[in-house]
Order: sequence, then structure tokens, then C-alpha cells
Amino acid sequence: MVSEEYRGRRKWSRNKQAVATVVWISFLTAAVATMLFFAVFDPIELLASFDADLDVDRQGGYAVGFFFFWIIAAGCSATTAWLVRTAPKRDAQNR
Amino acid sequence: MSTPANTDRPRAAALYESAKKIYPREIKGRFESLSKLATNILLGLFYFVPWLMWDERQAFLFDLPARKFYLLGLTLWPQDFPYLALLLIIAALLLFFVTALAGRLWCGFACPQTAWTEAFIWMEQLTEGTRSQRMKLDKAPWGWNKLWRKGSKQLLWISFSLWTGFSFVGYFMPIRQLGLDILAFSVAGWTLFWGLFYGFATYGNAGYMREQVCKYMCPYARFQSAMFDKDTLIISYDEARGEPRGGRKRAVDRKQDGLGDCIDCKLCVQVCPTGIDIRDGLQYDCIACAACIDACDSIMDKMDYPRGLVRYTTENALNGEPSRVLRPRMFVYGAVIAFLTIALFTSMLTRTPIILDVIRDRNTLYRELPGDVIENSYTVKVINQNNESRDFRLSVDGVSGLTLDGVAEQFTVDGGDVLSLPVRARTERDSAYGIMHITFTVSAVDDETVSITEDSRFLGPTP
Repeated sequence: MVSEEYRGRRKWSRNKQAVATVVWISFLTAAVATMLFFAVFDPIELLASFDADLDVDRQGGYAVGFFFFWIIAAGCSATTAWLVRTAPKRDAQNR
Repeated sequence: MSTPANTDRPRAAALYESAKKIYPREIKGRFESLSKLATNILLGLFYFVPWLMWDERQAFLFDLPARKFYLLGLTLWPQDFPYLALLLIIAALLLFFVTALAGRLWCGFACPQTAWTEAFIWMEQLTEGTRSQRMKLDKAPWGWNKLWRKGSKQLLWISFSLWTGFSFVGYFMPIRQLGLDILAFSVAGWTLFWGLFYGFATYGNAGYMREQVCKYMCPYARFQSAMFDKDTLIISYDEARGEPRGGRKRAVDRKQDGLGDCIDCKLCVQVCPTGIDIRDGLQYDCIACAACIDACDSIMDKMDYPRGLVRYTTENALNGEPSRVLRPRMFVYGAVIAFLTIALFTSMLTRTPIILDVIRDRNTLYRELPGDVIENSYTVKVINQNNESRDFRLSVDGVSGLTLDGVAEQFTVDGGDVLSLPVRARTERDSAYGIMHITFTVSAVDDETVSITEDSRFLGPTP
């Protein structure tokens, strides 16, 4: 009875796996990158050096930095995943 | 969906993708108590720690807007980042150590994903009942009972998630003030965003994704096997003892019937939160929660067979080879961890509680003053890392006759504060030419040994 219950237990489709992995790993990467980056640079001083008349406080700066890193990392991960998955299959005989 | 030919397709797709939801069965036992204890301690700490106070302020506060970390009596600045890096390295090594010793203890007992999933399953059991009740409820048509049970589960889950988000943000800003702000509906935009973000992530990860996170998204789950060796403690089914498996009456002498100790009750499969069969051998889906050990032990007790058909053991032991837990690998990891921990604490305890930053003004190379004097300008930042205010003295050295202007003989910096001083250094034209290295030194008036030096440059005319 049980084995029947769990036969074909829920599995994610390949696309769902890819999306979840890309989003999650780039999230972790962005968290680390944000930590390292803002340990060295203060968002307020950084913005001041651009002479831009932006009204952004530190928290806003951190958030913008975090999402910037997340988007960059997600773009990189997604491209890598896509290239790996769409690469031409190796010929079985030439292995 | 208008043509009859299409009506079947979404159903087929749904069958392929979602297949079976896992309903972990509840089990009591040694490891279950241990894991419950770990969950309670870890989650309890998470929700309780932000409320702790230390002298008028929050004991653990990562004050990002002010760029200061408060840890009990200690105040850390962005310049102290190496400490955090070292701490993370120690944590990583500790994970290696534990993994080599006893496999995925982290996954089963300490991972936030497991802890929150257990809390969410507990709420699910409270509202929807036991495993079989939950399965029946999911199959039943919508009615008042189902609506009531599912609704109250969602209510519990959502309130718990919101509280989680609130506690999370409470590590980054004073939680009492945050609570008052929420009650007054005046929470700042980003604060609200991060609270809801974290709360929603908890709700999704612990309520719905659960073991899928471990299987598909967790990097540790994939590389932990690299830290295993044949002496690592793993949860295993003793195949030699259990097989051939099969049902039997309790009175039957299993040896006569040619049966092993496994009665094939499948309880180990039902309790598994990731839905695997431990009897198929070590699998990377296994999060080492040890629920199957508890399940099997309870059956062995009922059958009057010895416990441990499923148990913590090593690959060597299962193969009948000598196995030892204390092996060179453990001592090497242990020694490195001990060394780094001692290094971290000594450097933190003996650090000079001043930070000195010297920035040369970029706009001018140097200025010539009447009377053949060359002047350079600097911005000197003195950070007093102590909690009490202190008097300091600033001096400069490296070029003969160099004097400072714009700074008093002594100046006071408040506890945990930054003093920014526009300072000018001057010397005779005769002793200044080209690029010269100079050093700024700031020292405490009450204790000359508390001092710190920072390099900078002094520019003069090139002859």
C-alpha cells in the first residue's frame, strides 16, 4: 500500500528545478556579495561621490545593492544553466 | 479548454508533475525527542534573542543604518569585518568536522529549513490531524470541516510567518521600537518589505517546498558526500540482518521460515519527511533526521527483536571491517578549528579600541604659504570603539619639522562615535620635496599604550 502511495512521489519538472536553483543560488551569492561590498563601502559616501542628487538613505542603498547583485548573479546563473542544458549532445560512440 | 480533445491534457500533465505529496507520519522516540529539543532551542533562540537587553540597548543588534554591530558589550565596525570572515570560516570547518563524524547531522537537527518545517508540520498536525486524517482530508470534497481545518492551518501559518519576519527585522533595528511602529502603522517602507519578504520565504519554504528545498536547491546536500569516508556514522538499514524481508505472525519462528528481521511494515517509509525508503541504501535525499530509526525500533520492540535494524553505523562496520570514529581526519579538523577559534578570541580581546582613517585631500597636491612653508590637507577620522568617551592625542611623523594645524592638543571622542578632523600638516620648504611617506598616530591620553598608526603621504614641490 505504501509503496504504491509513494510510487512516482512528487518530483519537480526540469524547468522548475532550473528556475528554483538559479533563483536560490543567485540569492545566496547576492547575500554574500552584498555583505562583502557594504562592509567596505558606505552607500551614502558612495552616492555622494557620484554628485547625483539622489535622496537615498543607507537602507535604500543596501536594498538597491542587494537586488543589483541578485539580478547580476541570476543572469549569470541562468545563462550558464541554459547553455549547459541546450548544448549539443555528445555522440555516444565518440565518448 | 473548449475542444474535448484538450480536456485531458492538463490532467495528464498534473499527474506527471505534482504526483504525490508527502505526508510524514508522526513518530515518538529517542531521536524524535532530540530533534524536537533542537528545534525548540534553535527557534526559541531566534525569537527570543532580539528581546535581550544589555545596558539600555539591544544585546544583539546589527544596526545596518548606523553601520555598527552590537554583540553584548562589544561594538563592531565595518573595519572589523575580518572577524566576521574568520567566524564564517570557523563555522564552515565545524560543518566539515561534524559531517565527517556523523554525516548530515546539520540537516536533521540544526538546519533552519528543518527546524521551520518541523514547526509548520506541528501546526499542520494540530489543525488537520494525523497522517491518515490529513490524507483523508485532502481527498475529501470541500465542506465546512475542510474549510475550517485548512483555514485555521493557514491562519496559524501566516501569523507565525509574520512573527518570524518581524523577529528577523528585529535583529537589524531595535525590536521594541519596531513593535511600537507596527502598532502605530508607521513602519518605514524597506523595513516592511524585508519583514514581509522573510515571512513569505518562511511560509513558502517550510509550508510548501519542504524537502524539495533539500533535494533540488541545497548545495550542501550535493557536496556533503565528499566529506564522507567509510568511518562516517550514517543511518543505515542492516541488510544482512533484515533480509529476506516479509510479513509474519508474531509467534512464528523467523529462522524456520527463512525470514530476516525486517517485517516489511513500511513504517520507516511513512515517517520519512523526504519520502525515501532507507532500505534502498544511503541516498542523497536522506536528511538524516533519524525518524526511521525511531520507527523501526518501535516495531522491533513490539516483535521482541533486538533494536537497531536501522541504526547509526559506519560503512566499515556494516561490512564487518574494523571501524573507528577517532581517526586522523577528525584530529586535523579539530586542531584547525581550535587554532582559529583561539586566534579569533585573542585578537578580539586584545584589539586596540581605536580606528584611525587618514584621507589626503585629492583636490590639491600641496599649498605654498608665506614664509616658505609647504602645507598638505587631510581628513582624519578617529573612531572610539569603546562605550565610554575618551581623550586622544594626534601626532604626525616622517618629515623633519612637520607640525599639525587645525587640531587641539587633546580632543575627546564620545563612546562609539566617529570624529572627523580637517587637519593640515606643515613643514619648511627645505625639508619638503617630492612624495614623502608620513605616519599619523593617535593615542589615548590616559593610556599611551593604546595607540594606532596609519600611513599617508606628504607632497612637496619637485626640484
